[in-house]
Order: sequence, then structure tokens, then C-alpha cells
Amino acid sequence: MSLADQDEVLIGAALEGSARAWERLVKRYEGRVYNFSLRLTGNQTDALDLMQEVFLGVYRNLHRFRGDSLFTTWLFRIAHNKAVDMNRCRRLFMQQDQPGGNADGDDADPYDRVVSNDPRQDPAVVLIEEQGNSVISRHLESLSWDQRLIVELKVFQSHTFEEIAELQDIPANTAKTRFYTALRKLKSILEQDHVM
Amino acid sequence: MSCKETESLVADYLDSSLPASQRRILEQHMQQCEHCRSELAAAQKVSAHLLQWRQQQVPQWNRIPETLRHARHTRSWSWFAWWQWAPVAVSLVLVLAIFTNVQLTQTQDGFVIAFGANRTVDAMDGSVIAEQLARFEVQQRLRQDQEFQALAARMEERQDASNIRLMETVISQMSDSTARSLDQVLAYFEAIREQDMQILQSTYQQLVDSDYETIRSVQQLASYVQYQP
Ligand SMILES: [Zn+2]
Repeated sequence: MSLADQDEVLIGAALEGSARAWERLVKRYEGRVYNFSLRLTGNQTDALDLMQEVFLGVYRNLHRFRGDSLFTTWLFRIAHNKAVDMNRCRRLFMQQDQPGGNADGDDADPYDRVVSNDPRQDPAVVLIEEQGNSVISRHLESLSWDQRLIVELKVFQSHTFEEIAELQDIPANTAKTRFYTALRKLKSILEQDHVM
Repeated sequence: MSCKETESLVADYLDSSLPASQRRILEQHMQQCEHCRSELAAAQKVSAHLLQWRQQQVPQWNRIPETLRHARHTRSWSWFAWWQWAPVAVSLVLVLAIFTNVQLTQTQDGFVIAFGANRTVDAMDGSVIAEQLARFEVQQRLRQDQEFQALAARMEERQDASNIRLMETVISQMSDSTARSLDQVLAYFEAIREQDMQILQSTYQQLVDSDYETIRSVQQLASYVQYQP
């Protein structure tokens, strides 16, 4: 990668109003953000929404990026927060439609599947095309939102439990328990599906 | 280490940040403890299954935020405008070439019939045109001065009307300035040019039918103009 192509240089140019530099920076990371969004939301429409929100957030906060961490780390922190925000929004929205739902316990939360399952009932929503991915997506959807998020952070983003704890503002042990519970649940679903 | 700790042990084992010393202790435990071993294997299988995820292509989307888009527009506008106007610009150059190819100028000596005005024709083929000009430029006193002046006025009027029609055509084609619309504009110019040449030819023939030399020159010139791109 040439000097002119480094994230920091592109960020500087984007801050000075270069749309070209910004576009280059976005193109470099949009694939990772999009697939992150796709796994969390389970459909392309929401994934695209989330990805756009993430990059809008990155753009608006670009002047705050100090370079004391990697740009990707900073970007995925924003991505994580946007995903949490999006899920919170959907929950609030659904709570108005379905009064009486309780929202405690990882497994018992009826709103956890709102994000991923509801759009699937809408034939207009574009689903995940890749066949293998749609199986994985279906398995991820069996998890609660919190579980899905921690699996994403641990398995796909390769975060350490310390990093997850800091990101989510929870004790590291809670993160470990949550992750382990999610894996156990996935294991039983994979067994039902004869995947393992 | 008791197996009540399986949960955190497996989680720790899957954590890349686990220090080597602790990992060794963990591995020793795994060797002895069947439960932890099978749990770890299952967890690794689940992870491996998930990691079969294949990167999906990002659909088309608008990467440039509104605020940046303005900067982008001012920067690329000239190019965009040029591209949009390219067919029209080509057409205008063409129509200028066509109409100025046949020029009527009045001097003290009478009318100068200049085929191929240097300015625009130069762009087409300077040397050939200059040669043609030298050969065909007819400069002679015409007896029917009045008639010719009327003709000139008529031609001017025609050109104005043509230009107006041309502009109308161009404007109506602007919305889809495709190759097809360029073809249409060109076909229009072609038709106008043909009409003009017919009028010119017939009028000139009437005007100078006594002078065979001139007729021949004008006819040659007319055909020259007509077959030039
Ligand atoms: Zn054990």
C-alpha cells in the first residue's frame, strides 16, 4: 500500500473535503461492515441500512479519530454501537405494537428475533443469496440478540473477552458466560440440523 | 481445577489473548478431563461451521454523504457538463461549418461568394479547403445586384429560422443526449444542408446562366460542399 493510500492519509483528505479519498476509505472497509451487518440482521435490506448508518457515523465523527488506535478498531466500535442502537430502536418500535412482552433473559426475549425474522416475512425484502450463508444466518437467528452479537464479536471479529467487556461495558466473565451459552445453543441446533 | 469451570475454561481457551503459561495449564487440564475436552471440541466445531461464512458482495449504494457530495459536484461538474454537452457541441460545430461554408459577403465590387469560411473550415481540413477556395472563389460583378441582395436576405432569414429550429431540436434532445439523439440532430442538419444547397444551386444557376464558367465553378463547389463531412 502506497503512502497516499494509507488510512490516515485518506482520512485527512476526506476531512479536507475529498470525496474521492472518502470513497476509497469506504470501499476498503464496506465489505467487512456489510457482512458484519448481514450476520446480525439476517437480511440485505437491514444490513444495508445498518452499513449506511455505520459509515454516516464514521463520517460525522471522522474529525474525532485521533489515530491512537487502528482505524478498523475505531470503525468497528462505531459499527457495534450502531448495531446496538438499531436493535434498540426495533425493540421500542415493536413494543408499541405488541404490548405485554417481557424483555428479560437472553433466551426468553420475544423481541430478540424482531430484527432478523420480521423482514423475512416480507416478500419484498431481499434475502441472503449465498446458500451456505443463509444456513449460517438461520443458525445465528436462533440466538438472542445479545448472544448473536457476542458470537459476532468473538468468532468473526476475533475480539478478546477483555475487549468485548470494554466495548459492551460488562464484566469479562459475563461475556464469557454469554458466549459459552450461545455456543451451546448453536451446538444443539447444529445437531438437530445434522450439521454436527 | 474442577469441571464446574468448563464454561470459563473453554471460553478462555478460545481467547487469543490468553497468556502462554495459562494456556499450558489449560491444556494439561483438557488432557485429563473428558468433559472439558468434548466441550472444547464442540465449541471449535461450532466456530468452524460459522466461519464457513462466505463474504458477500456489497450491493450498490451511495457512499458519499450529502455534505461531501457538494464538494464532489463542483469538482466533477465541468467534466459532467462537458460529457452532457459533447454531442450538442459537436452538432453546433458541424452546423457552423455547414452554414459558414457558404457565405455571401458584399464588397465594394459587389458580392463575394466564399465557399468555406476559413475560420471554421480550417478545423475540418485547412489546406484542401484553402486550395478549393483559391480555385473556386468567384469574385465578379453581378448584373442582378438587387436580385442577389434579395437572395442574400432570404438565405439569412432561412438561416435564422434554421438556427431556431436547430436550437429547439437541441433543447428537446438534451434530456437524453444519447448517440441516438446525436444521430437525429445530425440527420436534421443533413436535411437542412441539402435543402440549402438545392436553393443555392438553382438560384445561382438562374443568376449566372449566361456565364458557363461560373456555373461550372458553382456546381463544382456545390458538390464539393455537399460531400464534405
Ligand atoms: Zn474440566
